[in-house]
Amino acid sequence: MLFRRSSLFVAGVVALGLAMSGCAAPAPTAAGGEAFNDPLEDTNRAIFGVNQAIDRNVLLPVAKTYRTVLIPPMRQAFHDFMQNLNAPVVFMNDMLQGQFGLAANTVGRVLINTSMGMGGMFDFATQFGIPYHSNDLGITLATWGFDEGPYLVLPVLGPSNPRDLAGQIGDGLADPGDYVASAHHRLWASMARALTSGIDERSRNIESLEDIERTSLDFYATIRSLYRQRRAAQIRHEEQNLPNPAPIGANRGTSPGISNSVATVPQQHQVSAK
Amino acid sequence: MRRFFPAIGAFLLLTGLLTAAPREADAQDARAFVANLGNQAIQVLGPSVSPAQRVARFRQLFQNDFDVPGIGQFVLGRYWRTASPQEQQEFLRLFQEYIVQAYASRLGEYGGEPFRVLGSRPAGDETVVTSQIDRPNGGRVMVDWYLTNRGGGLKITDVYVGGVSMKVTQRDEFASVIQRNGGRVDALLAQLRQRLAAAR
Repeated sequence: MLFRRSSLFVAGVVALGLAMSGCAAPAPTAAGGEAFNDPLEDTNRAIFGVNQAIDRNVLLPVAKTYRTVLIPPMRQAFHDFMQNLNAPVVFMNDMLQGQFGLAANTVGRVLINTSMGMGGMFDFATQFGIPYHSNDLGITLATWGFDEGPYLVLPVLGPSNPRDLAGQIGDGLADPGDYVASAHHRLWASMARALTSGIDERSRNIESLEDIERTSLDFYATIRSLYRQRRAAQIRHEEQNLPNPAPIGANRGTSPGISNSVATVPQQHQVSAK
Repeated sequence: MRRFFPAIGAFLLLTGLLTAAPREADAQDARAFVANLGNQAIQVLGPSVSPAQRVARFRQLFQNDFDVPGIGQFVLGRYWRTASPQEQQEFLRLFQEYIVQAYASRLGEYGGEPFRVLGSRPAGDETVVTSQIDRPNGGRVMVDWYLTNRGGGLKITDVYVGGVSMKVTQRDEFASVIQRNGGRVDALLAQLRQRLAAAR
């Protein structure tokens, strides 16, 4: 939740995460587990509590300071810059999923934003009708048919599952930025990048998370539900308005199951709200 | 007997027309309904509205435009059947007020940003209206509205924000509360009562 991707942070918690997930094998639904897919709920709740304490005492104050110190355009530029830096990983996963339309979008965005956008600080691509989309190896693994496995709350990193954790590790290893940094023994660079993107992410969610926590009867259960539904929606690629990538060999009918079209806002039956 | 046939024919034709032809009209109505709701929401939730006013207006909006009993029954899930009629009635009352309080607060962050209806599609006997909200930071949120028309006009049965169902999220939370209290519905009712009392 906090640090979307960093090989370093992930590496630190892999052993712990895997140990807790029982070697990451998809556990059968425990009795009374309902449909929450959370056989390790007691452990997860404990870690969730620790994460909340860390959040309250460290991350939230830092995120608030960050927001006080930097004016909105600077924060936006920084956010766009970090997003641009993540493009290689997004591109890799677009390709691995056979989403060539999305992959083309990612390449187009990098070309526009790195040049016109001065190294990614300005997101002109969105204004040109190529909005950002995220993608990661967890989604790729899901489209390849891997099961999510039991719900996990990772220390510091937050909600996950064995599939998404494996995806985070893979993305971290494949990231050219992190790769270059570690090859030159600049581990601090990767570390700083993970930290800063975590702070950026947190600073963008201060109010919404606070509101949900305050108004929830069971904050843990709400976050678990939100995480699992959100990931399912990302796997369906709903926001890009693309059909599901058809499994290899499946009859795709007339619709382009694997879309080569540039994914933009759907224009069909456009109705003005005004 | 024979003279009834034209009447039956007319009846069948009429019901045929009523069920088939208005489908597109329904979809159009649904899109207009959501567009109108978006405009209302901007007024209800604008940054200049006081919190007390926001709650009052949101309550009115929720009661008028949402299928509250249907949502309530769904949200209690399988525990709806184990609850006594009194518990069901009290749950519906508490649930409605809880949703109003929670969402008036959660939507407080929404500052009346541009809201666009994109289109609609049928989903079973419901109509889904897709819309998009453009955030000031350049992001966009897709919001899908599920509508039903079971007499008494269009009612919203669920709202998906970024692919996440608000109805399912609420059901999952309530189910967790009940489950952690030994499957007792009255434990959830007690927590809801306590929460609403604290909000006053």
